[in-house]
Amino acid sequence: MIGFILRRLMSIGVTFIIVSMIIFLMMHAIPGGPFDGGDMPMPPAVRATLMERYGLDQPLYMQYFKYMAGVVRLDFGIPFQSPGETVLELLGRAWVPSLVLGGLGVLIGTPLGILLGIAAALRRNTWVDYLASAVATLGLTIPVFVTSMLLILVFAVWLNWFPSSGWGSPDRWVLPIIAYATIPMATYARYTRSAMLDTLNKPFVTVLRAKGLSETRIIYQHVLRNSAIPMVTVFLPMFIGTATGSIFVEAMFRVPGLGAYFVSSIRTRDYPLEMALMLMLTVMFCLAYLISDILYAWLNPRMKHGGRKQ
Amino acid sequence: MTAALELRGLCKTYPIRERGGLLPRYRDLPVVRDVNLVVARNSIVGLVGESGSGKTTTGMMALRLTEPSAGRILVSGHDITDLSPQALKPYRAKMQVVFQDSYSALDPMFTLAQIVAEPLHIHGIGSASEQTQTALDWLERVGLHRSYGQRYPHELSGGQRQRVAIARALILRPDVLIADEPTSALDVSVKAQIINLLRDLQEEMGLSILFISHDLSVVRSLTDKVAVMFNGRIVEEAPTEGIFAAAQHPYTRSLLDAIPVLNPRDRRARIFRSREELEADIPRISAATTGLARNATPALVPHAPGHQFEAIVE
Ligand SMILES: Nc1ncnc2c1ncn2[C@@H]1O[C@H](COP(=O)(O)OP(=O)(O)O)[C@@H](O)[C@H]1O
Ligand SMILES: [Mg+2]
Repeated sequence: MIGFILRRLMSIGVTFIIVSMIIFLMMHAIPGGPFDGGDMPMPPAVRATLMERYGLDQPLYMQYFKYMAGVVRLDFGIPFQSPGETVLELLGRAWVPSLVLGGLGVLIGTPLGILLGIAAALRRNTWVDYLASAVATLGLTIPVFVTSMLLILVFAVWLNWFPSSGWGSPDRWVLPIIAYATIPMATYARYTRSAMLDTLNKPFVTVLRAKGLSETRIIYQHVLRNSAIPMVTVFLPMFIGTATGSIFVEAMFRVPGLGAYFVSSIRTRDYPLEMALMLMLTVMFCLAYLISDILYAWLNPRMKHGGRKQ
Repeated sequence: MTAALELRGLCKTYPIRERGGLLPRYRDLPVVRDVNLVVARNSIVGLVGESGSGKTTTGMMALRLTEPSAGRILVSGHDITDLSPQALKPYRAKMQVVFQDSYSALDPMFTLAQIVAEPLHIHGIGSASEQTQTALDWLERVGLHRSYGQRYPHELSGGQRQRVAIARALILRPDVLIADEPTSALDVSVKAQIINLLRDLQEEMGLSILFISHDLSVVRSLTDKVAVMFNGRIVEEAPTEGIFAAAQHPYTRSLLDAIPVLNPRDRRARIFRSREELEADIPRISAATTGLARNATPALVPHAPGHQFEAIVE
């Protein structure tokens, strides 16, 4: 197990370096630069000074090595769009809305989805099942910005129950949390239903019935336990994916979270911030998958005792 | 003495959706038709027939895991056909089952000790530690070391898993064991070991076994009586030697022909016949010479003591 983890950590390191190079190249391949002006063109002399100050006049590989040398010391530079703070400070600030809204969305959507999936599996081919399937299919096929728009239209514009956007007071959180929750809910509803039906059709369940174990106990003591493994392992990557901020949800509800900075950093060629965001995402996903794999092995006797097979 | 298990006129039909048409139309497909079968106390009865002949469905109905469309199920003389799940629970302890696929028959998340002890737990017999001890005793009894209690199903071979399934089935000391092709997925040598184990346990415990198999040769060394099933019906029933020495029904004979023999000179000319051909080839016997009452539709007619087969008497 230790060997497995070490090997995986090494491969994460390699992934990190490769991804950093690709992102750096792609970032600079986009035409234009941070000090091109746009609305207010800068005098060439000022622009040259700024370029020199931020080292943008140096060859690309030098810029890359300088940046990565900083990364090793956890120095991700200064964001061009907000030079009063470091990238790290900006990220620390932007994390909060994304984590709160996305995290709550996942934490609310996941149990709802699991319950929906269980209900659907237990009442197979009844209206409960069809309703759950409809909810799951709609949740997965309607793009989240459409969901967001509908939520704003119904609950903010028509019913006037909640404010339509912003960050700050918790009543502004409700609609984006619902928007976030639809995806984990739909995913888990489908997942749970199929995992449970899979297990329910196994002969060991038939044997348990033959032994006189009640249907409820069969579900709670055996079926859920067997279905839980895949459900546990998809959780972390999904949590990371949602909690790092959906560009669309944050844009629709004007939430100043990570998702918003993804867009603005690319638009304004804010290289240090863009790089930091992408690297952070890479590391988090790699770690999420690593932890999921460890959890999977730990929960599953087939993996845990694989070595002693005879 | 009442039989351990008795099936009376058991039938099962499944609704089959007809092809075509806008609105769904269903047709009833009979898969088990009027099965009468007695498993006497302390005996092993073989239920043999090709795949799809309705053996598993019959076994599942006997266990009340599939609801019969018609007919009665009697366990030790008690009619359990209409019992509610609660009323059925004590009878569940009296009847157990072993399936062909030993791997999916054991919950992969549980240790063998937990799996074997679970029936005791379900029926609230003994304390937790007593349950584990009994489970380990049973592992030993089916030929596995006690240390196997800590292992998981995937760590065992198919034969070992089938031993675990047998231990789990017998730990409640049931009267009836329904073994649905328990050896069909195993190698020849392992197959013989499992058959021997079942025979030994049957003798020690005075168990009654309904042994389901598609292979007549497996049944020969084990059973007291054989019922041959074809297309949902029992077409011949006889003491085991009667089947092997004097099979009357053409379907039974075709099953006998399918048994591989080592010596080529012993091999009978094999004739493979389709279901339709066999279905059309119903034995006809003369009422005049046998003294039997005439019947125009096929029915079981007596041939020798305990031996009957399906025929038309004319
Ligand atoms: N749930 C079901 N719905 C429809 N047909 C079924 C169902 N279960 C079994 N059958 C059909 O019943 C017939 C008998 O099946 P089975 O009892 O499993 O036979 P065997 O065990 O002898 O191979 C088969 O043709 C099978 O397709
Ligand atoms: Mg079968």
